Amino acid sequence: MIPFIAKRTATLVAAVAVSSFAVFLIPYFTPGDPVRKIIRSRVAGDAVDNGSVQALGESLGLHDPLAVQYFRWLGDVLSGDMGLSYVSRTAVAGQVLPALTVTLSLVTMALGIAVAVSLPLGIIAGLRPGSAPDKTITAVTQALIAMPEYWVAPVLVLVFALKLSVLPSAGWTDLSSAVLPALTLALRPISYFTSAVRAGIIDAAAADHVPAARARGLSHAQSVLRHVIPNGLVPLSTLFAVWFAGLLGGSVIVEVIFAVPGMGRLLFDAVINSDIPVAQGGVVVVVALAVGVTTLADFVHRLLSPAVGGSLA
Amino acid sequence: MTKSASLVLDGLEVSLAPASATGPSAAGAHSGPPLLSGVSLSVDPGEFVALVGSSGSGKTLTAMSSLRLLPPQLGITGGSIRLGGLDLTRATEPELNAVRGGRLGMLFQQPKRMFNPNRTIGHHLKEPLRLHAGLRGRKARAKALELLDEVGFADPAKGVRAYPHQLSGGMAQRAMTALALAGQPDILLADEPTSALDKVLERQVLQLLDRERRERGLGVLYITHNIASVASYADRVLVMNAGSIVEAGPASELLTRPSTAYAQQLLAAARLAPESRRRPPSTEREVLILDGVGKRFGPRRRKTGHTALEDVSLTLKRGEILGVLGQSGSGKSTLARTIVGLDAASTGTITRQLGEAGTGEATAVQLVFQEPHGAFDPRMTLRTSLHAPLRKRPGLSPQQRDARIGAVMDEVELDGSLLDKRPGQCSGGQLQRATIARALLLEPQVLICDEATSALDALTQRTILGLLLRLQREHDLSLIVISHDMDVVRYMCDRVAVLLHGRVIEVAETGEFFAAPRHPHSQALVSAAIPCRTDGLWTVLDVAKPARAQSAVVPNVMAGRFPGPTPGRS
Repeated sequence: MIPFIAKRTATLVAAVAVSSFAVFLIPYFTPGDPVRKIIRSRVAGDAVDNGSVQALGESLGLHDPLAVQYFRWLGDVLSGDMGLSYVSRTAVAGQVLPALTVTLSLVTMALGIAVAVSLPLGIIAGLRPGSAPDKTITAVTQALIAMPEYWVAPVLVLVFALKLSVLPSAGWTDLSSAVLPALTLALRPISYFTSAVRAGIIDAAAADHVPAARARGLSHAQSVLRHVIPNGLVPLSTLFAVWFAGLLGGSVIVEVIFAVPGMGRLLFDAVINSDIPVAQGGVVVVVALAVGVTTLADFVHRLLSPAVGGSLA
Repeated sequence: MTKSASLVLDGLEVSLAPASATGPSAAGAHSGPPLLSGVSLSVDPGEFVALVGSSGSGKTLTAMSSLRLLPPQLGITGGSIRLGGLDLTRATEPELNAVRGGRLGMLFQQPKRMFNPNRTIGHHLKEPLRLHAGLRGRKARAKALELLDEVGFADPAKGVRAYPHQLSGGMAQRAMTALALAGQPDILLADEPTSALDKVLERQVLQLLDRERRERGLGVLYITHNIASVASYADRVLVMNAGSIVEAGPASELLTRPSTAYAQQLLAAARLAPESRRRPPSTEREVLILDGVGKRFGPRRRKTGHTALEDVSLTLKRGEILGVLGQSGSGKSTLARTIVGLDAASTGTITRQLGEAGTGEATAVQLVFQEPHGAFDPRMTLRTSLHAPLRKRPGLSPQQRDARIGAVMDEVELDGSLLDKRPGQCSGGQLQRATIARALLLEPQVLICDEATSALDALTQRTILGLLLRLQREHDLSLIVISHDMDVVRYMCDRVAVLLHGRVIEVAETGEFFAAPRHPHSQALVSAAIPCRTDGLWTVLDVAKPARAQSAVVPNVMAGRFPGPTPGRS
């Protein structure tokens, strides 16, 4: 296990390093001169004289070799300095952190709902494949995939906010305002989690060691509780991590529709406004978190299923 | 514990049944011929009964019926199963759960697949201890350690913490045995518990069961397709064919004078007499020379690597059959892969002197794999699989390829209609012939058979060995026969090489080797195989009884910790 952790941590660092370098290069591939943008964002007028461009470029170290610039930038990011937004002229970190908190709560709630719903559904379906409950559950969860968020969200708003008036339609104030966005965001994970749990349970139930457990005197229910369900849920840990990582920056639609001030929203606005520092800072944070979460899921998966990847250690 | 009970099956019939049919009350609604019919047998406490028959004869079905653990599409449609005073065919689920793993234990084939891969051995052991002995917590742990110690774990505390994948095949089977004994069974159903093990391990497991039989009156129903392993342990033998018991009797009588044709066939297959006279290799020309071949896996410099082969020097003459013996993990398969070129040797050289140039150097050495079902892509028809190697030969039209495939199919005596089937639709014997056919496609000069028959039952094994010998004669092939089965090697080979921990410890002519093995490890290997017979005769039967009653301790070649009786030798 120790060499495995070391190896995985090394890949984690490498992945973050490579992606951060890609993020660092963004200004070089976007149209327009960043120096002019910076000056434009700090002075009122549109006219920028070449002398100040030259001077600012000099003071920012833009004439240094690329590697030097990269490590200077990386050091700044690691110490929490992600620069100033072109648009708001405030520190990027001050925008990213609150947005990240919001998104983390939203995604946690959404995936919490998804797990709570899909575990029982997947187990019921997987234990009796082909039965009427299985067919119903499979049909309904498959149908969820076909419902896009931009369609589900207004419907939910229509019903719960406008018709029943029990939940707010937008904003991010208290828990009640989080319900509709979380629910919307949970729909597709519910569908994927349910089918993963169902498949995992069917696989686990077909394993030879299950009748072997019955031959030791375990009742059917005991063998299911001790050997089928725990084994069948192992694949979910990986899928959960993939979704968690994906939704960190990928909940844009929901955040925009419900006016949730999260990461998706922040990145969306940054791109629309060509606010490169915010986009850079936001992406780096999201990537680092996503890689961290999937690595953590690998550890968990290995703890749950020690025979997997035995050759790695 | 109450008085020990006998297991009695009386006229048991099992058929395909509608899902609702459970128990004999539902009889009559079934369709098709019964899978088991009129199976009657009894196992008393302290008795060792062998149930033999080729694969598919219904042996496992009999055991699973006794536990009432049939797949839902099968049902018991007649007869009765009694354990002591309890009629298992009429017992309730709670009664059955108390019996399963309690008074009626089961030992499975392929132990590794019978453990939950995500749970430790200790976790498994706690289940029967809680269910049948009422032990929990610290007491259960103490008992688990005791059980593992009993079955020969050198370090029981480590064994309790181990996950199934961390155990070798032999250790896994011992752990499975401990698991089956945890509920203090009166009767143990042992379903081919040794067929995945080499001869030395096989003997250790059988001795373990025999000791339980002696010491606490365990009744054993030993199910096997290997009749040779039966002779020294069984009191009675039952022969099963096509779902019925065709012959039964005391071991000494049945094994020496089988009366039914089927039992005679089984016995003949088990008795691989050395090929009376193979003609000696046609020339002294050496086709393959291995000089100081070594193979290391893992990091080069660090200690974590694993040396699979070390300084192996061997030669193979044209037309010669060389046997490579060794226990599981001794490097046999690595040697095969290295010679064929699937793995590159880390040190040393392998020289091929194939003579008349032109017969594509790379394909002149071919490998016949161990697991026929694993050696074919399950989604391809055999025809597609057999076409693949011929693409190596440019300039062959599809018609010529088909003709070549037809020719090798004839050679291995397979019907051409099989070509359009997928591996899942073929029997193990058919597939093993197909793997040989595939190896022959490119007209090899050297054929390496890596445990080519160990997954097959005795009858099929014999026909495949016969086929290999005929092909060898007709094509003047050189064969390397890799096996842990002494009988196969003795039957086939001109010379024998023994591997131990990746080193060749002995090379000798077959006759010489079996008469007087020099290295202590070779002696252990040969003696582990011998107790069943010498020279194809069941002479050892005369001493079988005293042999197993002795309790002298044989030094163990593996872990050095496995006490058991000395094999009888006449």
